[in-house]
Amino acid sequence: MTDIPGLPSRRSFLKGSAAGVALTGLALSAAEAEAAPPVPLDQYEREYLTADEWAFVMAATARLIPSDGDGPGAIEARVPVFIDRQLAGDYGRADDWYMEGPHDASAAPARGWQTPLSPAEVYRQGIPAFDAWCETTYGAAFAALDADRQDEALAALQKGEPGLDPELRDFFTILLANTKEGYFADPLYGGNHGMQAWVYIGFPGARAAYREWPERHNIEYPLGPVSISGERA
Amino acid sequence: MTKLLRILAALVVLGVVALLAFIFVPVQRTQPATELAADWQPEPGQGKYVMDAGDCVACHTAPDGEELAGGRAIASPMGTIWSTNITPDPETGIGGWSFEDFRAAMIDGVAPDGTHLYPAMPYENYRMMTEEDLRALYDHLMTEVAPVRNAVEETSLDFPFNLRFGIRAWNWLALDKGPGFVPAGASETEDRGQYLVEGPGHCAACHSPRNAFMAQDGKTAGDANFLAGGTIDGWSAPALHGEGSSLRDWSTAEMAAYLATGRNVHSAANGEMGLVVEHSLQHLSDADNIAMAAFLKGLDGDAGEIPATLASNAGPMPDAPADAAGKATAEMLTEAQPGMPEGARLYLDNCSACHFVTGKGAPEIFPELQGNSLVTAAKTKPLISVILNGADVPSTAKRPMHLVMQGYADRLSDDEVAELASFLRGAWGNDAPAVSAADVATVRAEAATH
Repeated sequence: MTDIPGLPSRRSFLKGSAAGVALTGLALSAAEAEAAPPVPLDQYEREYLTADEWAFVMAATARLIPSDGDGPGAIEARVPVFIDRQLAGDYGRADDWYMEGPHDASAAPARGWQTPLSPAEVYRQGIPAFDAWCETTYGAAFAALDADRQDEALAALQKGEPGLDPELRDFFTILLANTKEGYFADPLYGGNHGMQAWVYIGFPGARAAYREWPERHNIEYPLGPVSISGERA
Repeated sequence: MTKLLRILAALVVLGVVALLAFIFVPVQRTQPATELAADWQPEPGQGKYVMDAGDCVACHTAPDGEELAGGRAIASPMGTIWSTNITPDPETGIGGWSFEDFRAAMIDGVAPDGTHLYPAMPYENYRMMTEEDLRALYDHLMTEVAPVRNAVEETSLDFPFNLRFGIRAWNWLALDKGPGFVPAGASETEDRGQYLVEGPGHCAACHSPRNAFMAQDGKTAGDANFLAGGTIDGWSAPALHGEGSSLRDWSTAEMAAYLATGRNVHSAANGEMGLVVEHSLQHLSDADNIAMAAFLKGLDGDAGEIPATLASNAGPMPDAPADAAGKATAEMLTEAQPGMPEGARLYLDNCSACHFVTGKGAPEIFPELQGNSLVTAAKTKPLISVILNGADVPSTAKRPMHLVMQGYADRLSDDEVAELASFLRGAWGNDAPAVSAADVATVRAEAATH
């Protein structure tokens, strides 16, 4: 594990994975439990991110949805896998977006995507730029900072303090959005592992059949979620 | 001793002569049930209508092929039978056939050169067709269908089924009815329905069982096993009347709606029956679909109320509440407790959005699973196949919506499909034995053919 530089911390990662595996084992049906456990995050074969980028995404998502709150964190939910796969796919390439410009970085956020870079390119250029700012400010790359410093750095990034290039304006915005998406999206896309995020918030998933329930007031819906591929929890 | 040998030799010679005669003496063609005047002419459109009623297109058109130009592979227990070109092309079709040749093919199963047709061609049933309809059909095929030059693959079955003279013996056993139609005389409407069902519609080809010789066991209304349920390509064709028939509770109007549109408040036509509705029944008149429905209902003793026309789209129809037999299952599903059996949980997770906790489905859209013949059939392949591969109901003129059910092959394991199917076969008062994961694996391994 030492070959993965700058995890949030070795201990919290181990704790998180162990908790994730334990929770999953309890939650899944017998059939699902027999399925092979997922590849540990440190052995995951990345589709898009480089080793350094992966370390950043692991560290950043672990602070955006930390593992030490009530519910599962981004790491247990395998959010970094979701982000890697999305960046390798049509989202990352902005395949079906209008990308011809003009792009105006001073336009209001509601004006949409204002950079010629695809989301994958924003990660590729944003991570080293932000890490360089962390080096200057804190003396180490983001992934190597302690949790408090990381929170401080992310807050600064959100406010635009590192002064990244205008093309990287939305780096934090998409990082946060992708983290939430990876946390709550169907497990089919690599995140929300074992539907932990759905179990946590009581979302019953892709069952789409609750005709008997709208008029049954103040009764908790008894069943756990089901995913698109049929996993049950 | 010499005497005995001489007798034996004589017997052998006699046997050989009989066999040669059996093989080589030309078959006598059956004479028509009625003689028509030489100048008899069909009404305009009559021949096309007979063709629709007989569903000729279904077998005599290859997938993506020219209509009626043959070349469709018909799976049979003996091997693949290739349908022939019945357009009037002189070389590859039936352009050179006289009406007498055509009639012989339709009612005796014999081609002009004396070759026996394989009984995949339902001449057992077409034999009941009237001389008028045969003439009209011949007239249509010869004068209104464009000739298509299409030499189809020759059927070549393995020994002994490649010896077509064997069919001669089979015909002695199988062609015990006809030629021509004998109405039961229940009413004019039911007699018309009886004619369409027994003759051109050749319903018995699938819906009657087969006897030890693979001939239809029950071809006409008086026969004990007539339409008592059969098998086609591993699918059960349900009994259309009688004690165990799931159609027994359908009204004549509901049955007619199913025939004309492929759907009614209980069920939806898929698989082979979907094709019958698509290619044949939806093109028949309301009066004829009602007549067939009335005849089929009459087989249970009383056709009940016979509607004058098929109701047009009645607008939204509320789905039915659970009945007494289905109450316990509906309540269990409604309560949605985590401890419920796996099959029930799978039903909630995958099926209940459309078929509902009552198992009643939605009228004319999602079929009822309670008392559904496909669900409870002795042959479990159709149910498993529908769960794995989905199903669809064709668009029909009166109900244009093409209804599609997705397949769950990617979502459910063999064990899960078995649990789900077994649940369905015992839910809402259904009472059929469980399905095993091995059954599911077998169906999964076959290509989705329906």
